Amino acid sequence: METRERSANLRLANPACSIAEDAGLVTVKVEMPGVSKEALEIKIEGNELSVSGNRSLNAPRGHYILKERRAEAFKKFFTMDDSISRDDVDAVLADGILTLKLKIKEAAKPRRIEIA
Amino acid sequence: MDLVKWDNPAPKDLWDAFDGLRGELDRALDPFRIPSAAGLLDRATAPAVDVLETEDEYLVMADLPGVDKHDLEVSVTGSLLSIKGDKKGERDSEKRKIFRKETWVGSFSRTIDLPAQIDAGKITAELKDGVLTVRIAKREEAKTKLIAIAAE
Repeated sequence: METRERSANLRLANPACSIAEDAGLVTVKVEMPGVSKEALEIKIEGNELSVSGNRSLNAPRGHYILKERRAEAFKKFFTMDDSISRDDVDAVLADGILTLKLKIKEAAKPRRIEIA
Repeated sequence: MDLVKWDNPAPKDLWDAFDGLRGELDRALDPFRIPSAAGLLDRATAPAVDVLETEDEYLVMADLPGVDKHDLEVSVTGSLLSIKGDKKGERDSEKRKIFRKETWVGSFSRTIDLPAQIDAGKITAELKDGVLTVRIAKREEAKTKLIAIAAE
């Protein structure tokens, strides 16, 4: 699994993510504080899993004394290989973290062969 | 699971090599390359913070993805607002294979000096979708007052 940034012309933010695999389950976590479920789109097209959306700051009108947070669009691509099941993807957005759970196909899992 | 190979074909001519190099440089120098929505990673030990002054209050907003309400401490001393906390990760099991880790785990703190006199008695804090919003009321005397012009 590899991420790819394809924001050559567009100024897109690149949210931090971590990818780990444990017992046939690949967990992808992408940090997106302040992003609502409605502003998020997760798509699978062929070998590509994309997470895109918009982050708005939801701030009232006023004068900024300090501004470090940005409202921006973001898009993240992940390329999946054939070992990952496309049909069984679980997505949860909680506490500003999107958690995607992808399953590795049974056929692609390592098999232990017992010696008779 | 197999990792997909990094697609890096050999350049066909010299200029292609330069293009590749430029791309690399652009990526290395691009401020957006650093995950900016995260806030925790680009500021090693402090989250990204906005301080906004409205007519009658100060709003402090901090990006704290994955931080639990119980691991967060917001306090005010004089005009100093301090946000302290602990971002906990999941326990690593031996079998767990990590492919990419950009997210950051650990403790952090951030102290903000608020400009005008604040009303320490009127502070509310809310943590929603990984964003902490602290509302601090201004003191009555610090608020902008409209003075009515008496008509003769």
